[in-house]
Amino acid sequence: MLKQTVALILLAFLPAIGEAIYYRHKVSWQSPVPASETVTVDLARSWGDNAIWIDARPDNEFERDHVPGAIQLNEDRWNDLLGPFLATWSPEKKVVVYCSTQSCNLAIEVAQRLRNEAQIKYVFVLQGGWEEWLKKKR
Amino acid sequence: MENAGLSCTIALVKTTIIAFTLSILLCGAAWAGLTWEQTQIELHPAAVDKEVVGHFKYKNTGDKPVRIKSVRTSCGCTAAQSQKEAIAPGDTGEVTATFKIGDRTGTQVKGVTVETDDRVHSTIALVLKTVIAQPLEIQPVLVYWQTGEEPKAKSINVKAAKDFPVNGINITPVNQNFETKITKVGNGEFKIDIQPRDTTRPIAAVFTLQADASPKKFTVGARVANLVPSKATAVQQ
Repeated sequence: MLKQTVALILLAFLPAIGEAIYYRHKVSWQSPVPASETVTVDLARSWGDNAIWIDARPDNEFERDHVPGAIQLNEDRWNDLLGPFLATWSPEKKVVVYCSTQSCNLAIEVAQRLRNEAQIKYVFVLQGGWEEWLKKKR
Repeated sequence: MENAGLSCTIALVKTTIIAFTLSILLCGAAWAGLTWEQTQIELHPAAVDKEVVGHFKYKNTGDKPVRIKSVRTSCGCTAAQSQKEAIAPGDTGEVTATFKIGDRTGTQVKGVTVETDDRVHSTIALVLKTVIAQPLEIQPVLVYWQTGEEPKAKSINVKAAKDFPVNGINITPVNQNFETKITKVGNGEFKIDIQPRDTTRPIAAVFTLQADASPKKFTVGARVANLVPSKATAVQQ
């Protein structure tokens, strides 16, 4: 009876193992952003004037509403929007980038470009994005 | 007696394995729906392209019609739609995914999720991979000095993509606080030296970089900044 049970359990695992191998490059086994490069809403707000908020969402979403004082910078119009950001940036300030939700990648991509292309060190992706900011605002 | 029990167990396990395998095969055969030519497409747009379109072709290889319930994308920069809503057995069609390049660079992987009423493969994940060559690779796009630092020139390196022939670049506007100098260092490669006239006070400038015979503009910045934040200090542009 025990052998049958073990055999059945092993059989049940076979398709799962197969899928795990087949989709190994398509499954996010870990967060694409290290924890040290993300920030919670509470911590980012505690930085006050020492933070520059970057809204990485598309134009229409930014126009609808955004974090007060946030600067728009997205990859649709990167070259147009980079100028206003560079004019505001200062080395001692922390840059907080957000997009709509935890699962959106826009903030991650903008943060990566700021680190790689502008070589800015203190760039953080807001955990939970705009959705989380709205929750905490209430 | 023990041998008989063991034989019985082996027979039972064999039967279970065969039944399990058959159930999977039969189940798949009975409900086989859309067969996709490819579920991942890689595209390499030219430097001047504004968008790319991926065509994910399918065929209904099952014996029942399949209805596409929804087509969703992982990013607002990608729009996808199915050519047909209902696909009869033997019929073919495609899902087109249009990716807006905008000012994106590098490898962009965008997902398209297709939901159907097929009971075996109700959700299909399609992947549109776009490898975007940046017409001009600029590194870094920002140079800065701390107040009091020696006002030495700092360099920005510019390299043109292979399919984007560039003989010269220019940087505008002329700024009274920073001096700029462009040097050609190779085929399609340039060095821009930016030097502040003084670093005793915070100053900032944003420049537009443009390759000859191209309307595409790029932004670079230069700044002299205080290390310690000071609300009272105004920045001159």
